[in-house]
Amino acid sequence: MGCGVSKSNHFHKHSKKGNTIRAAVLIQRWYRQYVARTEMRRRYTWNIFQSIEYSGEQAQIKLYNFLGYLMDNFTPSSSERNLISHIFRENDICRDAEWERYFCYKNIDVPEVYSGPHLTFPLTVDQVVGLLEAFRNKKQLHSRYVLQLLLETWKLLRMLPNINRIATCHSKEITICGDLHGQLEDLLLIFYKNGMPSLEKPYVFNGDFVDRGKDSIEILLILFSCLLVYPCDVYLNRGNHEDHIINLRYGFTKEVLTKYKIHGKRILKLLQKIFSWLPLATVIDQKVLVLHGGISDTTDLSLLAKLNRHSYVSALRPPKKKNQISTPTSIDMDDDVWNTNKLYLRRASLTYPKPIGTRDCFHNRSLQDFSGRIKVNDGDEQGSPRRTPNQFHSTATKSEKDTLSVSNESVSSDGANEEWRQILDLLWSDPMTQNGCIPNEVRGGGCYWGPDITEDFLNRHNLQLIIRSHECKQEGYEFCHNRKVLTLFSASNYYDVGSNRGAYVKLGPDLVPYVIQYQASSMTRELTARQSIGRTERSALKVLREQLFAHKSDLICAFKTFDSENTGLVSLNDWASAVESVMHLNLPWRMLRCQLVSCKNSEAINYYEWFNELAIKEPNADHIEQSLLETLYRHRSTLETIFRIVDTDNSGFITMEDFRQTWKLLSVYLKMEITDEAISDLAVTIDSNHDGSIDIDEFMEAFRLTDKKSRLERGRSMFMGTGTDLTKLEGDPNI
Amino acid sequence: MAPKKDPKAAPAKKAEPAPAPAPAPAPEPAPAAPAAPAVDLSAVKIEFSADQVEDYREAFGLFDRVGDNKVAYNQIADIMRALGQNPTNKEVTKLLGNPSHDDMANKRVEFEAFLPMLQTIINSPNKAQFEDYVEGLRVFDKEGNGTVMGAELRIVLSTLGEKMNEAEIDALMAGQEDENGCVNYEAFVKHIMSV
Repeated sequence: MGCGVSKSNHFHKHSKKGNTIRAAVLIQRWYRQYVARTEMRRRYTWNIFQSIEYSGEQAQIKLYNFLGYLMDNFTPSSSERNLISHIFRENDICRDAEWERYFCYKNIDVPEVYSGPHLTFPLTVDQVVGLLEAFRNKKQLHSRYVLQLLLETWKLLRMLPNINRIATCHSKEITICGDLHGQLEDLLLIFYKNGMPSLEKPYVFNGDFVDRGKDSIEILLILFSCLLVYPCDVYLNRGNHEDHIINLRYGFTKEVLTKYKIHGKRILKLLQKIFSWLPLATVIDQKVLVLHGGISDTTDLSLLAKLNRHSYVSALRPPKKKNQISTPTSIDMDDDVWNTNKLYLRRASLTYPKPIGTRDCFHNRSLQDFSGRIKVNDGDEQGSPRRTPNQFHSTATKSEKDTLSVSNESVSSDGANEEWRQILDLLWSDPMTQNGCIPNEVRGGGCYWGPDITEDFLNRHNLQLIIRSHECKQEGYEFCHNRKVLTLFSASNYYDVGSNRGAYVKLGPDLVPYVIQYQASSMTRELTARQSIGRTERSALKVLREQLFAHKSDLICAFKTFDSENTGLVSLNDWASAVESVMHLNLPWRMLRCQLVSCKNSEAINYYEWFNELAIKEPNADHIEQSLLETLYRHRSTLETIFRIVDTDNSGFITMEDFRQTWKLLSVYLKMEITDEAISDLAVTIDSNHDGSIDIDEFMEAFRLTDKKSRLERGRSMFMGTGTDLTKLEGDPNI
Repeated sequence: MAPKKDPKAAPAKKAEPAPAPAPAPAPEPAPAAPAAPAVDLSAVKIEFSADQVEDYREAFGLFDRVGDNKVAYNQIADIMRALGQNPTNKEVTKLLGNPSHDDMANKRVEFEAFLPMLQTIINSPNKAQFEDYVEGLRVFDKEGNGTVMGAELRIVLSTLGEKMNEAEIDALMAGQEDENGCVNYEAFVKHIMSV
């Protein structure tokens, strides 16, 4: 037992020394085992959250593609199209004067009872401090001031270049923050630890200010007001969540409409404009590039510096082409016309012409239901075959490569598409460890880029470091690609309380990144590491169980393929394969098995019994068909997103008719038949006052799955602590 | 439960009759699998069931941060622990052929090469029970009253055996010491064995 013995002179007797050492080693070995096992739990818990998050992003992109497809194919007068056309409509107010009128806040009165901050412009530092204080005290800024602030912000952003260029003067350190995602507590913590932005303390905020957290608008207001007060010392980069399409799904739209019931819609419209005017990247001392997502093998900073960034209101949406190569005859002549080729671009991951897996390809579905509505074009549009349902049907079976090669010809000649592609890569890409550059099919946009791409890119542009965000990291930051790429994430406890730390970086003239970590939430500090891992794990498993339950029919089908004799049992191996084949989450199912299935019999799993065990409380909906219910659970987010799109006046209510139309849309998207009767049944559940309108939130709540088990679960004693600790957590409704 | 007293006894623990372990480190330019290990891994008979192999493969995959279906030398011990084994760092280093510090960080092992290592560790009769831990801690119970001084434990853990650093010790002892700085060691052992 080499190491410590010679140093320790504490013990005289040989046997006692032996005992001591033995005891020490025993505890040390146990401890290391505990750490390893905890690390494993942490990793698969992380994988669960991340898989579900990314599959949500992918789902949103697919939904958007689908809606775009509808736009292309439905006749202008069709009601479906009208339902959704508005999200594709370019900002119809073009001229600045008109915009200023739209921003007009002057008519909005601030009532006497308003207890929030009053702003006067030009803003001063004191006012910004006041704003922070007010938000800390849960006050809300009045819409008049919000609009005024947004107007001033817009005016300023318009003057900024696509790529900010800043310098660390001889003593200035620049602070760089990553994703904040509406988590006000983290921003306040950063300002507390590091000081607020000022002439001596420049800041760069690297995108994703909004969505998921509950204080997105407050974060924006703070960042914008800092920008207004210190325009040369505060820099904002756009993130992939500064995008109204993404906001529909991830909560920002809902937050604004809830907090600002009267003017919310206008605020959102203005924010669309402002997001498009956010700069795309920042370069420090001509050596360090800060941007939100990443790069690809084609990223070209000089191209990015020259384009009109504000044309790209949503990064998911290619620019509309003003001049079409062949003028279509019967295509809608509205301003929001789509170029034919967009369809093919959208079919693949948004940047790369590679086909999406066919299983989800809605093209394969015959569209008889809507065949009457699909336009028939006479002219030949660049060989585009998607005109009648029949032709379209056959397109689906043709190699997608053929159709794509057609579009590629015309695409390559279109500079706008190249620009769009570059922006998409900038905002959506992730680094990978292998060399090369491949489409980012997990998220559905941008690419995965390798260390060789980084090397090449840095050399070409004479840079030495890329700082990006976009991915949550347990320690708040992570280096990769030989420390040439730094990922920075500033939203702590992102997946759940205790899941990860946040970090920010300070960069001085030596350009060596100095990372500071933190973790918000008083609750975290009270939990030991073990407790917080247990808590996060329980949370992840809860989400996972709900997902599994929502896929019950598909799972049972998959199990049956392994159970030809219909015994109701499958082996563990088959169980894991079947589950992965349905869920596509790439999770370690064998490892999770003990958490998900009671381990009575280690040989085989009774899958029917398993579903009973999952203990998911279904809503009281006996009159509704099982498969429809499952659709509801599984595609909650998508359904809610469509509702919000359809609810054009953002009232939170939609008419029965629109409700029906929404379901028809969904049924095409999901390739399932939903009868009118079934839809009526659904509506009846919720339209209790029979006035013909549906409350969206109420509807979504009525069909929520709740996991009964999480309340009862003690399981393998995920956390240990004193009795008081246990009771503290027990009352927590979040568990 | 007394292997550590006698270093020479360690190799004898292992299932196969290992030749006298070559003390010289063997970092020859061998590919991932340790070429001249102190233990002859190729002689190890794998006795895992197919199910077990799949379980281990999954765990192995979780630790692969690079995506090349391999893990670094310095992760092997942790994977084994994650799978319920309890090797000392020294045992694992020996299995890997006493690689240099650089090798530990940079060399990688694929799953097929990992299995015999795991089998070796599993075969070693070194399982500690609750009583063993309690016995071990009783050593420090000066007054024979069921408690040990937290401070003394800390010193021992940081200076003896396979030393722990301060952060590790803090994490281990969190919430275990009472207001006098004493630890009730039976409760402590129950606590550490409950995971």
